[in-house]
Amino acid sequence: MTPIKHEQEALREILRLAYLEKEKVEVGDRWQEEVMRRIRELGEIEERPSSLVMLQQIVWRLAPLTCLLILGLTVLLSSSDFISGDDVIQLLVNGTEELTLNQFFEL
Amino acid sequence: MDTDSYSSADAEIVHQVVSGDVNAFERLLKRYEAHVMRIVKKHIPFDKVEEVAQDVFVRAYQSLPNFKGDDRFKQWLSTITIRTCYDFWRKHYRYREIPVSSLSEKHQVWLEEATATRSSQSFDERDSQKEAREILDWALDRLSPEDRMVLELVYLEGYSVKEAANLLGWSTAKVKVRSFRSRKKLHKLIKEMSLTQRDEG
Repeated sequence: MTPIKHEQEALREILRLAYLEKEKVEVGDRWQEEVMRRIRELGEIEERPSSLVMLQQIVWRLAPLTCLLILGLTVLLSSSDFISGDDVIQLLVNGTEELTLNQFFEL
Repeated sequence: MDTDSYSSADAEIVHQVVSGDVNAFERLLKRYEAHVMRIVKKHIPFDKVEEVAQDVFVRAYQSLPNFKGDDRFKQWLSTITIRTCYDFWRKHYRYREIPVSSLSEKHQVWLEEATATRSSQSFDERDSQKEAREILDWALDRLSPEDRMVLELVYLEGYSVKEAANLLGWSTAKVKVRSFRSRKKLHKLIKEMSLTQRDEG
């Protein structure tokens, strides 16, 4: 072991002993009564559902709203003059109408 | 009472408390107060020990529904105790004033002598743990709550990285890195302290 390592080990041992000495400090014996007072004040424990169960509840609560939103967006898209990306690509690739990007975007 | 009987008795008391018998918790308190106190005393300043020990039991009471009967209650309570101590330091760190006090020449001389003898036996004989405690507190006060907890658990108490990770609820990689860094910081702090004292002298 190098002298530095040796010194560090000695230091560790000294600090460890000092640290473990803390255990011997005497404390009062009234704190337990205070714990029970605080616990009685809190009353019976309410069993809270786990976070997974809570998440499931939120998801199912939001499900009807999500369905309505999807339905609304579908109606909106079908009633507007919507052209899908696939259609544009088809037109550009096949080029039957010789449509350019400029024409498509009406530039 | 052997460990298994203790575990089943604990599980039974937990069941009673969760079912609404609040007073049954006192039996758990009496059974584990010494164990919790032993942990808290080592991590928390003397004047805050009782307050933190109370917080540990209140927190344990509130978390009882999460206690699974097949776990060992003592181990579960140790985890809560360590995490409560860590939370104490996090709060303390947020509102603390930057420590400006330094150690005296007496500490420097003591430290040099103590490391030179390289013997824990002579350390006991010299009956000067007070200086060691002051040096330790001085150094720990300059570390972050994370470094402090890891250093205390791994370096000073000798827990394995895995055990410390379980107690703190961190990954083993995080504990390993923190352990290495905090040890380096501690040695640096003590070295700097020695140099400062030497320059002043």
